[in-house]
Amino acid sequence: MSNAKERKHAKKMRNQPTNVTLSSGFVAERSTKYHNGGGRPFQAQKQEPFSGTSRQRQTKMTHHSPVDPDVKEQSSSKIMFKKKGGWKAGPEGTSQEIPKYITASTFAQARAAEISAMLKAVTQKSSNSLVFQTLPRHMRRRAMSHNVKRLPRRLQEIAQKEAEKAVHQKKEHSKNKCHRARRCHKKRVLEFNRRQKKNIWLETHIWHAKRFHMVKKWGYCLGERPTVKSHRACYRAMTNRCLLQDLSYYCCLELKGKEEEILKALSLMCSIDAGLTFAAVHCLSGKRQGSVLLYRANKYPREMLGPVTFIWKSERISGHTSESRQLWIWLHPTLKQDILEELKSACQCVEPVKSAVCIPSLLPTTSEEKSQTVLPDEKIGKKRKWKDDGENAKPFKKVIGDGTRDPRQPSSWISPATGIIISDLTMEMNRLRLIGPLSHSILTEALKAASVQTEGEDTEKTPHHWWIETCKNPDSVSLHHRQEAVFELLGGITSPAEIPAGTVLGLTVGDPRINLPQKRSKVFPNPEKCQDNEKVRQLLLEGVPVDCAHSFIWNQAICKNVTENKISDQDLNRKRSELLVPGSQLVLGPQESRIPILLIQQPGKVTGDERQGWGSGWDVLLPKGWGMAFWIPFIYRGARVGGLKESVVHSQYKSSPDIPSDFPDCPAGVVFAEEQAKNLLEKYKRRPPAKRPNYVKLGTLAPFRCPWEQLTQEWESRVRSQEKSSGASSPSGEESDSRRDKLPCAPTPENTDPRSDEGGTSQSSSSKPQDGVATECLARLGTGWVAGQDATGSLPCVLRSRKWLKQLSTWCGPSSGDQRAARRALGSGQPAPTRAACLSLLDRFPRALVWVSLALLRKGSPEPHSMICVPAEEDILQLRQDRLYSGPQEPKHSDPFKSEIRKQKERNKVEKRQNQARAEPEGLAGAHPAAGHPALTLGLWSGPLPVVTSHCSRVLLGFVTQGDFSMAVGGGEGLGFVSLTGLLDMLSRQPAAERGLVLLRAPASLQYRFARVAVEV
Amino acid sequence: MAENREPREAVEAKRDLVEYTLRKRLPHCLPRRPNDIYVSMKTDFKARLALCQKLLDGGARGQNSCSEIYIHGLGLAISRAINIALQLQAGSFGSLQVAANTSTVELVDELEPETDTREPLTRIRNDSAIHIRVFRVATK
Repeated sequence: MSNAKERKHAKKMRNQPTNVTLSSGFVAERSTKYHNGGGRPFQAQKQEPFSGTSRQRQTKMTHHSPVDPDVKEQSSSKIMFKKKGGWKAGPEGTSQEIPKYITASTFAQARAAEISAMLKAVTQKSSNSLVFQTLPRHMRRRAMSHNVKRLPRRLQEIAQKEAEKAVHQKKEHSKNKCHRARRCHKKRVLEFNRRQKKNIWLETHIWHAKRFHMVKKWGYCLGERPTVKSHRACYRAMTNRCLLQDLSYYCCLELKGKEEEILKALSLMCSIDAGLTFAAVHCLSGKRQGSVLLYRANKYPREMLGPVTFIWKSERISGHTSESRQLWIWLHPTLKQDILEELKSACQCVEPVKSAVCIPSLLPTTSEEKSQTVLPDEKIGKKRKWKDDGENAKPFKKVIGDGTRDPRQPSSWISPATGIIISDLTMEMNRLRLIGPLSHSILTEALKAASVQTEGEDTEKTPHHWWIETCKNPDSVSLHHRQEAVFELLGGITSPAEIPAGTVLGLTVGDPRINLPQKRSKVFPNPEKCQDNEKVRQLLLEGVPVDCAHSFIWNQAICKNVTENKISDQDLNRKRSELLVPGSQLVLGPQESRIPILLIQQPGKVTGDERQGWGSGWDVLLPKGWGMAFWIPFIYRGARVGGLKESVVHSQYKSSPDIPSDFPDCPAGVVFAEEQAKNLLEKYKRRPPAKRPNYVKLGTLAPFRCPWEQLTQEWESRVRSQEKSSGASSPSGEESDSRRDKLPCAPTPENTDPRSDEGGTSQSSSSKPQDGVATECLARLGTGWVAGQDATGSLPCVLRSRKWLKQLSTWCGPSSGDQRAARRALGSGQPAPTRAACLSLLDRFPRALVWVSLALLRKGSPEPHSMICVPAEEDILQLRQDRLYSGPQEPKHSDPFKSEIRKQKERNKVEKRQNQARAEPEGLAGAHPAAGHPALTLGLWSGPLPVVTSHCSRVLLGFVTQGDFSMAVGGGEGLGFVSLTGLLDMLSRQPAAERGLVLLRAPASLQYRFARVAVEV
Repeated sequence: MAENREPREAVEAKRDLVEYTLRKRLPHCLPRRPNDIYVSMKTDFKARLALCQKLLDGGARGQNSCSEIYIHGLGLAISRAINIALQLQAGSFGSLQVAANTSTVELVDELEPETDTREPLTRIRNDSAIHIRVFRVATK
């Protein structure tokens, strides 16, 4: 209590003039001044060296000093505080030392100084508050800050001044130009250019910035989530209507060259074991989009680089020679750096392409030319944006390159040996994604195939001469008509899931701005179009014919032409206003732009049995510059826009891994995990300790980061030691290691539960170290061993072999939720994983992780970083007896760090005090001696983690990476990784009826919940 | 057309075990009107019945009631669809009538290749479906 009071007093005294002292100091002051403080010479002496301002601190100090010479003085001063005003109380305290005489002049002088100081202190307000804020509550009036006259008259003057000052400040703060001048087009463009220097803006940036929470990620400014509450609405749009996303931030890499050369180079980077490769027949023809997982050359199954999708340019019979093929690889920006590097080394593309002469049609070089040219003022807005994009991309690429390359020409590389050209087409195209069943209707409504132009008088003069040229060729015209017919058929298909996955359709469309509806409306599928005819059937069965996949978007010269000759919104609107009949259709004729686009079907959920085809849709590839021109028409047809959060939800409900968070084995995923852990830790530390979960007590060792490496490592040694204890002979070289790693698996003292089946064997195997310190040491040893053995590949390996995944999914038993299937499976009896099969799998993929989906049986919804645990036998027994049994509880753990933190705190406090005491005479604060200690955070495990698998009462199997209440299922659903070794071990032990049951526990909870694990291929 | 398909399918059936993965595609469906009720094996029977009843009664205030609804069932769910329709009729004291239509729906099975050299294939499978029209008749 006294401490707080003192502090308050200190605050009050802070601005007191030096020679004015109140309370206890008053005595000393007087005594020192007049040299007649006979009562306390000791104190007077002691106080002499200090200046008046430090008095308060010094009194504080005297409190704590071990020898307190003037306890009485202190207590008296306290009494004085209690009474109001030190002045009155002063004589009381100093009753014995009233001076015999005083000199009037010196006394008056001193008092005058004091009085003036006091006056100064009174007139000068110390705090930051405004005048009316200092008034006592009963004197405050409504709107005092607005109207000065509501204040008491004596304060009006000061308030007036303050108000003026505020106005003045505001004016200084703002720009000296008026609002209108600032909003003028040129200025805004300049400002926008300046602002997109650091992070690339998408073309729809301004639209997004008005409606979305923007984040700066991966070198872009991206909309994270809408500012309106729309989680459920976006889900409904994905399921029943249409969700629109701007995916232009996805990067495109182009490979050009001979087909066999490209295939040869790329075959190193992917494996047929993990799915189809670049050479798949239907993808190679250009008919379909393919997706593939890239690895470092010849490193499969380790050193994953990331998932990509790719399209081959379809071969046109009449067009280019079949020798040179074009391949686009689309990938997430976080993966770009690694993949581009690896691609270059795989294709031996080392020479950057210098000039546009070598490859006349290559866009990157031409775009750079364009960026150098001075553009007409009128179109400066759009053009400048492009230029900036080009410039922004450069530092990006500089990092990719090895530094020896000229930074001006970094976007394409040629290989002298194979002739493959790799170019970076990032931001050269727009990619809009439509998800949901209404995307067909929206596409067919918003886009109209370009009208064929037959009259070509002055082909060279008109801006769109490429189209007129094309229209002269009857083959091209017929192709265009066929494409148009296929596109029109799409309107009669109610869901994109009905079309073969990855279908590619090229098209040339007219300007979508021309038939923009007056108002935003919703389109509905037209039942008349949905006639069941043979053509639709053909389309559904065989997909789009190969030649219809052709699009002029592959030709970069045409793309450039289209981008440059885009008629601006302003001109278009002016022309529209000049129409004779307002609101009638605008006909531009030959002036109208024709835009080559590419439509790519995106398959929805393909894995698992449920919700087949959910979240399927179309991706629209546009030449750059046309983003907004297509964006608004789509929205005017009733598409809802989603951001990054919606794409995470989309991938979660599709039970497909999200990039980059669900790729712990690729470098981007590791970076992401680190960043996420840092952010979560910061967020955690922002809360007061009492208002945040104590993860140590909850038994959550890693609430922010999943220790995959340690997990797989521990499982391996665990299984190995089990084998040993069961009598199986194994190479003796590993024994000491596994034993050493085994030891910490024994329960920590606070964890006295009876073990699960595995735990039982481990208990019998070795003597338990009973104190936490020993466990920790051993764990450290264990991790050291881990690091030593696995120094080469620090990233975990994820099982992606399709064959083995299929095998695993049958072992896991019936997939979740499907009761009938479950019953059927019970009848037939799914085979348990055989020992030999397990061993061969583990041999091929040692210490691997498996991507699993989890469906909760009853209550609960998993969170990210939830723990997936092996249920003990009694849990399963209890579940069998009581179908409503929700799950066991984790016993509370003790927090060994809590006392340490308290001790440290106290130590710090003492040290601080001593420091202060020491620093006081010297006038400087010494270096903090406690800084050497690692900062402990209450509620988090500090230091290296102990054994994660057996830290809790149920053995840890893995972690959830995505998890939430799933609106598609109507229950909790999660996706995550489990240790392959652990999964096999668990499956082989569980009876057929309960095979695949696991327990889930959220990081901030003690409750386990039952879930069913499924491996979906 | 059908006889064309037969031999090919036989060949495929041999192949797909090793080199193809079977993927069933969703049935082709027409745009849904408000009075279309689809019944599947996953729908909750009682809830769907209540929904039909509500549609026929037109909610609490008797507005926007449909004079007729269509109940569709496919394959295994045909019996459920019939069941719903009959329950509706039984609970209406003779004011509802049913008229059933059967049809055949073509379902597409996709065969995804496991090797690069194979083209993806599609197979057509037929399944029976029922469309029951439940309508109100003037009782008096």
